[in-house]
Amino acid sequence: MKALLSLRPWLGVLAERRGRLLIGALLMLATLLSALGLLSLSGWFITATAIAAVSAIGYLDVFTPGSGIRFFAVSRTASRYLERLYNHDTILRLLADLRGRVFAGLVTLDARTLARARASQWLHRLTADIDTLDNLYLRLLAPPLVALISVLAFAAFACAFLPVAGIVLLAILLPLGVTATVGCGWWGWRASHRRIDRQERLRTRAIEQVEGLAELTSYRALETHRALWRREEQALIDDQRQLGRRTATGNLVVTLGIQLATLLVLLVGLEAYRGGQVSGPVMVMLALGTLAVSEGLGNLPMAFIQLGATVRAAERLNGQAELKTPLAGDRLTSGGAAPSLVYRDVAVSHGARTVFSDLNLVIGAGRKVAIIGPSGIGKSTLAQLAVSAFDPQAGRVEFASQDIARLAPDSLRARIGYLTQRSELFHDTLAANLRMGNPDASDAELWAVLASVELGAWARSLPDGLETWVGEQGRQLSGGQARRVALARVMLRNSPLVILDEPLSGLDAETAASIKSTLDAWLAGRTALLLGHDRQALPACDDCWRLMPAQTGRVGERCLEKM
Amino acid sequence: MSAARRSANPSREWLRQQTAAVRPWYRGAVCCGLLVGVATLVQMGALAWVVDRVISDGASLETVVGGISMIVAAIAARALAQWGQEVCGQACGLRVKQQVRARLLARLQQLGPVRLASRHSAGLASQLVDQVESLEGYYARFLPQMVLAALIPLIYLAVVFWLNWLAAIWLLIAAPLIPLFMALIGMGAQRLNEAQFQAVTRLSGHFLDRVRGITTLQLFGLAERSAEEVSEVAHDYRRRSLKTLRVAFLSSAVLEFFAAVSVAVVAIYIGFGLLGYIQYGPADQLDLFSGLFILLLAPEFFQPLRTLSQHYHDRASALGAAEGLVALLEPEADEKVAPGRIDGETGLDETPRQLPGAVALDAVELRHRGRERILGPVSLKIAPGEVVALIGPSGSGKSSLLQLIAGFIAPSAGRVRATPTPAIAWLDQRPLIVQGTLADNLRLVAPDASDEALRDALQQAGLQAWLASTPAGLDTSLGERGFGLSGGEGQRLALARVFLSPAKLVLLDEPTAALDPETEREVIAGLTRLAASGRTLIVATHHPTIMAMAGRVLAIEAGRLSAVERPDVSREAHS
Repeated sequence: MKALLSLRPWLGVLAERRGRLLIGALLMLATLLSALGLLSLSGWFITATAIAAVSAIGYLDVFTPGSGIRFFAVSRTASRYLERLYNHDTILRLLADLRGRVFAGLVTLDARTLARARASQWLHRLTADIDTLDNLYLRLLAPPLVALISVLAFAAFACAFLPVAGIVLLAILLPLGVTATVGCGWWGWRASHRRIDRQERLRTRAIEQVEGLAELTSYRALETHRALWRREEQALIDDQRQLGRRTATGNLVVTLGIQLATLLVLLVGLEAYRGGQVSGPVMVMLALGTLAVSEGLGNLPMAFIQLGATVRAAERLNGQAELKTPLAGDRLTSGGAAPSLVYRDVAVSHGARTVFSDLNLVIGAGRKVAIIGPSGIGKSTLAQLAVSAFDPQAGRVEFASQDIARLAPDSLRARIGYLTQRSELFHDTLAANLRMGNPDASDAELWAVLASVELGAWARSLPDGLETWVGEQGRQLSGGQARRVALARVMLRNSPLVILDEPLSGLDAETAASIKSTLDAWLAGRTALLLGHDRQALPACDDCWRLMPAQTGRVGERCLEKM
Repeated sequence: MSAARRSANPSREWLRQQTAAVRPWYRGAVCCGLLVGVATLVQMGALAWVVDRVISDGASLETVVGGISMIVAAIAARALAQWGQEVCGQACGLRVKQQVRARLLARLQQLGPVRLASRHSAGLASQLVDQVESLEGYYARFLPQMVLAALIPLIYLAVVFWLNWLAAIWLLIAAPLIPLFMALIGMGAQRLNEAQFQAVTRLSGHFLDRVRGITTLQLFGLAERSAEEVSEVAHDYRRRSLKTLRVAFLSSAVLEFFAAVSVAVVAIYIGFGLLGYIQYGPADQLDLFSGLFILLLAPEFFQPLRTLSQHYHDRASALGAAEGLVALLEPEADEKVAPGRIDGETGLDETPRQLPGAVALDAVELRHRGRERILGPVSLKIAPGEVVALIGPSGSGKSSLLQLIAGFIAPSAGRVRATPTPAIAWLDQRPLIVQGTLADNLRLVAPDASDEALRDALQQAGLQAWLASTPAGLDTSLGERGFGLSGGEGQRLALARVFLSPAKLVLLDEPTAALDPETEREVIAGLTRLAASGRTLIVATHHPTIMAMAGRVLAIEAGRLSAVERPDVSREAHS
C-alpha cells in the first residue's frame, strides 16, 4: 500500500538505533523460546516417564531433562524481565529521538505557519502523534518478526523429527500470521485511519461548546449545537465499535488457527507414532511446542487493526515537515553599526485578503520611527517582515541595503533585538531566560540590566535570586514583571536594530515613565522601529506614522499616513 | 480489591458507580470469560485423554474420535466465548464513555458561561474527549478480568485437586500468594505508572513550553540549540525513570517466576511420580492422563493473573482521569451554599410576565462569595424597543449586569425579570464561530431558516460584500480548517445571527472594543438597523456613537446606576 510509505522517515529514525532494536527483539525471542522449551520439554518428560513406568525399563535419565526444565523456568523469568526493561529503555530513547527530530523540523517553520493553527490544540495533536509513533517498533515491527522467526525455527526443529508435522505447522501458522498482520491491517485501515481526526473534531466541538456557552444558552441554541456534538460522537463511537468488533474477530481467527494447528500436529504425530516413525514423548513435545510457539501470534490482531492510526500520525507529522522553509542564505558581513531598514513596494496578503500593497517605508540608519495604530491592525506584520518571519508576496525588505530574502535568517536575526507583543518566557530560571539574549553575559551584566528595567530590587528580594524559576510561560511573574524581563532580554542582545512592540504595556504609569527614559538613552546610536497604539506609550521617536485602513475599497487593506 | 475497600477514595467510588448502567454487559463479559476457562479445561482434558489412550493403550485414532471431536468443540466454544467477552467488554466501555460525556456536557451547562470563563477551554475539551477516552480500558478489560483472575484459578485448582491432591498442593502454595501477587503487581504497576506519568507530564510540559516559544527561540537564534536541548532533556528523564522501572518490573517478574517454577515443579513431580520415585501421597495413582492434564493446566492456572497484570495500566489511567472528572463534576463551594438559586430567584419565568423585550430589575444586588458588593441595589425598567447604553470604567459591573439580565448568574438579592423565550440575543467581543459552513453558523439560532432569510440577515449585518466575494457563498466553510474570518467579520456574523433570531431582547457587551475604526463603523451601522427593527438593545460600551444612538445612557459607578446626559456626538459621528 502506498500509504505505508509515509512511515518511511520514521523507520529511518528507528534504523539509527538498529543495534538496540535487534537486542530487544532477541530478548523477546529468548522469552518466547524459553516458554516453548519449558512446556514442550515438560510434556516430553512426563510422557517419557509414563512410558518408562509402563514398560518397566526402569532406567531413564531424569537429570538432564530435569535440569533443562529448571533452566527454562529461570530463563523465561530472566529474559522477560530483561526484555521489558531493555525495550522500555529503547522506547524512551526513541521518544527522545522523535521529539528532537520533530522539534528540529518545527524550529524552521515560519511565523505564519505557526500562527495558523490553534496553538494548544495543535500542540496536543503533535505530542499525541509522536506518542503514537513510538509504538511503531514495540507493537508493529518486532512482534511479527519474532513470531515469524520462532515459528520457522520450531518448524525446522519439528522437521528433524517428523517432516510432515513441520509442514502442517507452517501450512497453518504462516497464512495465519499473514492474516493477523496484513489482513487485520487492511481490515481496520479506514476506521482507524480516520479515528484520530474524528476525535479531534469532537474536541473542537467541545471547545465551541465551552467558549460559546453564553451565546448558545441565551439563544437557546444549546440543543442545536448538542446535535452537532452528538453526530461527531456517534461517528467516533461507531468507528471504535467497528474496530473493537474486528479486533475480536481477528483474535477469534487466530485462536482457532493456533488451536487447530496444535490439534493437527497432535493427530499427525499420533498417526506417526502408531506407524513407529516417532516416539511418544517427541509426539507430545511437538504438540505442546506448537501451542507455545503460537503465543507470539496472539497480540498481532489488536496491534495491526490500529495500523491506520499509526500511519495517520506519521502522515500528519510528515505534513508538518513539508512546511519547512530553508534556513540557508548569505551571511551578513557588515559590522555592528546601526543599519537602515527599508520596505520597498511591499505587498502582503492573508489568504485572499490584501493587507498591504505597495507599502513603502524608509528608516534611515540610526533613526527611530514609530508606527501607531489600534491592536490587530497589522503593526506586528511589519516587524515580522523585518525579521524574515515570512516573505512578502511582492516587493522587498532591505536591511543595510541588502535584500533580506537573500540573507540567512539566523545571521539577520543576530543583528535584531525584537520585543514581541507577547512576553514569551520559558519554564526555566530567570538567569536562563535573560541569557537567551546573550549566552555569554556575566551575572553582573544580568544584575545591571535588571536594574535598568527597575527589577533589581525585586530580583534581590527573591530567595533564589537569578536562579528563581519563572514558571510555565512565566506565570510566576506578574504581567508587568514578565514584560520587563522580556525587555531586559532584548537589551542584553545589544543589537544595532531594535524593534519594540508595545514595550510599555502592562506597566503602571510611574514605572512606564522611568523605563521610557531608560529606553530613550539606550536607543541612542541604534536604529529603531517602535510599534504602539499611542505615541505616548512609546519612547521618543524621530518620525511617526499612523497605520490605518486604506481608502482603496478593498476590505482589510492598510496604509501608512505621516503624523 | 482489598485496597479498594480500605479507603473511600472518591475517584474509585466514582469509577464503581459508573458500572450501574452497564451491568448486563459487564456480567456478559464475565460469563463469557468463565466459559473460556471451562472450554480450555475441557480441551486440555480431552487432549490428555487422547494422548493417554493412544500411547498407553495403543488405541487407534478411530477409537478416540469422540475425544478428538470434543477437542474441536471445545476449541470452537473457547474462540467464540473469547469473542463474546471482548465484544461485551467493549460495549461496557463505550456505554460508560457516552454516559460520562453526557453528564459532563450537562455539567458545563449547569456551570454556565460566567464560571467557565475562568477555565481553560482546551483543557476542558481534553477532559471531555481524551480523559473520558482513557476510561474505556478499565471497563472493557480490567474490571471483568479482575473477577476472572479470582475465579478461573479456583476452578482449575479444584480439578487438579480431584486428579491429584499433592500436585494441587504445589499450585496451592502459590494460591495464597495470589492476593499478594495482586498487591505486588498493583504496587508495582502503580509506582510504574506514577513514575511514568510524572516523567511524561514533565517531559511534555518542557516540550510544549519550547514549542510555544518557537518564534522567540528563532528570534534569538537559539533554534538549533533548543532542538538538542529537547532531546537531551528527554534522555535525562529516561535515565531517571529507568531507575524506578527496574524495581517496578520486578513485581511482575516475581509472578512470572512463580508461574514458571510451578510448571517446572509440577512437571518434575509428575515425572518422578510416574517413575515411582516418590513413595508418599497419591503419587502412585498418577498416570499419563492425569499427569499430562495437570501439566497442561499448570500454566493456565496463572494465565488470568498474568492477563490482569497486563491490564493494570488501564486501571491506573482510568483512576488518573477519574480524579480530574470527579473534580469537575463536584459542585463548587458557592453552589452548595445556594442550591436552586439559579432557578429559584432569578424569576426569569415568574409572574408577572414581562412583555418580550422588556426588562425589570427590582433592588437587585450581586456579591461574590463573601466579598463586598459588586452591584446594587439596582432597580431598572426597560420597555420593549428601547436602546440603553451602559457606561462606566472597566470592572465597574457592566458585564455583570448584562449577565444578570441574561440569567447566567443569579442575583444575591432582589429579582430580575426578563422573558427568556423565545430567546435572548447575546453578543460580546469573541463571537462563537463553529466549525462548519457559514449557513451552519447562522442556523444555530434558527434551524429552519431559509437560505433567503440567511442572505437577508447577512445583508442587514453588512456582510453582503464579503458574501459576494466568497465563491462558495453560504457553503463557505469556517472555523479552524476553513479560511478564517477577521475579528470584524466575525463580529458582523454574530450580528447577522441576532437579525436572524426571533429574540426581542439583545444584550451586547462592548461589541466594538476589539475593532479597527473602519469595521467599527460597519458594526455600528448594523446596530442601528437592529434598533430600528424594534428590538430592545442593552449595550455596555465606551463608544460615543453608540451612546448617541441610545435612548438612555446609564452610568455605573460604585455599583449604582445613574442616568447621564446623552453626549452630543452628532459632529463626531459625521466627521
